[in-house]
Amino acid sequence: MNRRNAIRNVALLVGGAFSAPTLMAMNHLENNLKASPAAFVFSDNQKLIVAEVAEIIIPKTNTPGAKEVGVPDFIVMMIQDCYRKPEHVSFSEGLASLESKKFLSLNSSQKLEILRQVESDSIEQMKIYQVQQTKMGDNDDREQMKEQAKGLPFWRLMKELTLLGYYTSDEGLKSSFDYVPIPGKLEMVKLKPNQKSFAY
Amino acid sequence: MNLNLKVDKTHRYDAIVVGSGMTGGMAAKELTERGLQVLMLERGREVKHIEDYDTAMKGPWEFQHRGKISIHSAEEYWANSRFGNLANEETGEFFTDDLKNPYIEKRPFDWIRAYHTGGKSMHWGRQSYRFNKNDFEANAKEGIAIDWPIRYEDLEPWYTHVEKFVGISGQKENLEVLPDGHFLPAMPMSAPELYFKEQMMKKLNRPITIGRVANLTKPQPWHTELGRASCQYRSKCSRGCPYGAYYSSLSGSIPAAKKTDKLTVLHDSIASEIIYDEKTQKATGVRVVNQKTLAVEEYFAKIIFLNAGSMNSAALLLNSKSHRFPTGFGNDSDQVGRNIMDHHLGVGANATVEGFEDDYIFGQRPNALYIPKFRNWGTDKRDYLRGFGYQGGASRSDWKRGITADGFGATFKEDMTKPGSWVMGFGGFGEVLPNPENRMFLDKDKKDPYGIPMIVFDAAFGQNEIAMRKDMMNAAVEMLEVAGFKNVAGFNRQDTHLGLGIHDMGTARMGKDPKTSVLNKFNQVHAAKNVFVTDGAAMVSSSCVNPSITYMALTARAANHAVEELKKQNL
Repeated sequence: MNRRNAIRNVALLVGGAFSAPTLMAMNHLENNLKASPAAFVFSDNQKLIVAEVAEIIIPKTNTPGAKEVGVPDFIVMMIQDCYRKPEHVSFSEGLASLESKKFLSLNSSQKLEILRQVESDSIEQMKIYQVQQTKMGDNDDREQMKEQAKGLPFWRLMKELTLLGYYTSDEGLKSSFDYVPIPGKLEMVKLKPNQKSFAY
Repeated sequence: MNLNLKVDKTHRYDAIVVGSGMTGGMAAKELTERGLQVLMLERGREVKHIEDYDTAMKGPWEFQHRGKISIHSAEEYWANSRFGNLANEETGEFFTDDLKNPYIEKRPFDWIRAYHTGGKSMHWGRQSYRFNKNDFEANAKEGIAIDWPIRYEDLEPWYTHVEKFVGISGQKENLEVLPDGHFLPAMPMSAPELYFKEQMMKKLNRPITIGRVANLTKPQPWHTELGRASCQYRSKCSRGCPYGAYYSSLSGSIPAAKKTDKLTVLHDSIASEIIYDEKTQKATGVRVVNQKTLAVEEYFAKIIFLNAGSMNSAALLLNSKSHRFPTGFGNDSDQVGRNIMDHHLGVGANATVEGFEDDYIFGQRPNALYIPKFRNWGTDKRDYLRGFGYQGGASRSDWKRGITADGFGATFKEDMTKPGSWVMGFGGFGEVLPNPENRMFLDKDKKDPYGIPMIVFDAAFGQNEIAMRKDMMNAAVEMLEVAGFKNVAGFNRQDTHLGLGIHDMGTARMGKDPKTSVLNKFNQVHAAKNVFVTDGAAMVSSSCVNPSITYMALTARAANHAVEELKKQNL
């Protein structure tokens, strides 16, 4: 049973019982379902671009780079699983723009120059979102954005998913931070020179 | 009534407790420890302490979407997801699928549920503050709704009783606005937090304390006896704690009740109706629908405790109709389902803190600072009633700062491995006034998948809450500016509804007069005294402090009264 049918069946089960706001939410879900997740399919070339951009954001140094810890596949999966049509459109526009510049065949300094331009353009594009950090009590931090019909810019999605995919991966996390899964105590301490962040 | 009454001896108990959450657990513990045979009914699936905490020890990389919510989950948990992602991969098991458990919104209501053993005690925020004396008196003084039938002094010994059992870490402050409790050692504040505390006292005469939180900082013998150990400072509480360090029904009250050998727990058992005997004018038992088989069974007891969560306890009363109670059990006053309260949140301010570059924290504190209510207190008077408290604190930013920062490449990658600057922020919890027009009721025709009438919500914030929110944001901005912090930014989210605080309460209020209230001063239904409602439904006003410890104190007090009355053969 696919998801849309599942939603319909629940609606039937309760006898078409939903009031206006609930129905609106259901329609909202249905519309979103139409756009996801299979609606966005990456071509092989697009996957190569995703991998290349991710590796430029987090390159291999004395610690692994984005490609080595599986960030490219993670980004593809996340775009398909966690984002809806507006982001699918903006992400594919970003990829198309890089394709039109023959990104993969450029030399590394040309690639850097293009991505710097993409970054500075996205700073302008992000302004309409009025991004704000909010707190929900109990030390629960969340990012709030003004909802827009247009999806988040390609660069913002690439940057967020690359960092998330890398710094929370097994190798990326352990090679970047001082991983302390069970601290066992809480102490206010002084930072040592060059100390890495703790990760939990 | 077309009842198939198979009076089975094994279906008889001294007491039935409906619900296994925060108050159901406490009711079962208090009643079994006083010698009663108790049947606990849990509508959801069974969760076993520790062994069913599937995500507790996982590393971040073991979650497919790394904490982000997938579209698929957002559909299933639409009420949870409407605001943010409460039910993500780490904690989703302790939230309830909204599609399978539909409700109707005449006006939007964020109904966040937890249908499993332990209920919402599995993922609560653990903040535990006593109501103050004025919280019990404000309705009467201001002519709002009705007066509480009890005062602080009535509840004081029961606060102590449950605090000792639960284990609350906190600092005594000797403040009238935030009465001290029975505390385990307090958790420390960071250097910028200590600076902020000092500045607020010096410049605004405003006390700040470390949060009072139900995590064991120093387990006492009665905690270790139940297998509970000290907090490991992972701050992954809402996944379920394998150390039993935070209090839940699963780590605390249910094991305590089981030790008496007098507790029976039935899962997948949805209480659909209270059975009433017109002759004795008492409830005799509860009708139960099995959520898997839809089979209906009846269970009988001398006393019944409703601890299903405020909205479901009220729904159970409303669905229990009889010749005596044509509009719902104990609903002579027409107050069942009315006066929905919660705490409004999503308002506050953030700032960046310069300096303190050498200061850092080892371990994750599952707790925050607490700024007690200061509005409409003492000589302060506002153009709205009641007030708010803030929770929040300081932390050093981590790699996530890189998402919005410029740059990429090797140097950027290296920078992200170091702690960033300190940031500080606070979010408010505001009191919501009781209003009879903020209500839930049962739909006349539409049934849920279990054949029980669906709940309709018709409630929203009022002018008092909206006015308070503006001040909540401005006062947070002011404090961060007075402290000298930079980039101070206030926020006041407009996309929240009643319910999101997950402190929903008030739907079967206590009171002195049966004409205007549902329960008496011992949480007994006025017209059928062997039925007790001791979850949030009983609340007459909401204060601005997190309510669970108050619900638990009311429950312990009511359970004690129930057993005394049983002994006197009054029930």
